[in-house]
Amino acid sequence: MTENNAANAEQDELVITRNFDAPRALVFKAFTEPEHLKNWWGPKGSAITVAKFDLRPGGEFLYSMRHGDGREMWGKFVYREIVQPEKVVYVNFFSDAEGNLAPNPFQIPHWPQEILNTWTFDENDGKTTLTLRGGPINATSEERNTFNGMRGSMQEGFGGTFDQLDEYLAQAF
Amino acid sequence: MNATTLRALADSNRLKIVELLLSGPLTVGEIVDRLGLHQPQVSKHLRVLSDAGLVEAEPSANRRIYRLRPEPLRELEDWVGSFKRIWDDHLDRLDDYLRELQTPE
Repeated sequence: MTENNAANAEQDELVITRNFDAPRALVFKAFTEPEHLKNWWGPKGSAITVAKFDLRPGGEFLYSMRHGDGREMWGKFVYREIVQPEKVVYVNFFSDAEGNLAPNPFQIPHWPQEILNTWTFDENDGKTTLTLRGGPINATSEERNTFNGMRGSMQEGFGGTFDQLDEYLAQAF
Repeated sequence: MNATTLRALADSNRLKIVELLLSGPLTVGEIVDRLGLHQPQVSKHLRVLSDAGLVEAEPSANRRIYRLRPEPLRELEDWVGSFKRIWDDHLDRLDDYLRELQTPE
């Protein structure tokens, strides 16, 4: 299944839900074992190399991501909570090869540097619903505002679909 | 993508105003009526939206009519769209990978 929908739960959080035609234990494994992660983590056409992987609270996943055009970026997770096979909580950010915080590539001033992510895995009839929640952590109020502007425009304001905005923009020119 | 645009939209009432204006230009009074807010509040929100370039006012008789400016909205749509695509992409890959894992040898 590829149904994807976004709905807002709490303030400051972006929520994405996706259903997979696979048992929960497998989806959980795919996200928590480096030999699986390197097969799918990252955008299409990119390949990751795992530099560090330690799945426990306080442990780190440090990886480099090479894009099709040769660009290389580093990213890091710091795990906070692991409940097998239901839930993983981690903080992630763009980093350098040593795992230090690096500027994000979005080129937006005041975009939050660190995001707290919660992945929950629910099973129903052998299928899995994955819910991703992400929101800024250790953020300045400006960073939170920037994030909320994105979150709001993505979810509340334009109904998540952008249909109305598309229509408007089509008329505007 | 401009941080001012995002900041201006980081407020649910301002988002509602933008949503209202998607259907066409309105006067301050009409916005006040539809949102059930006080006029000074609405005027303040309109000022923030206008400073961010999201709306523009046009005087008509003794009233001001507010309309959306498409440029920052288009930029916003592109940017939010690319953000969504990054996640869709990620999850598509996971979906493909899970299928692959479940395919009998």
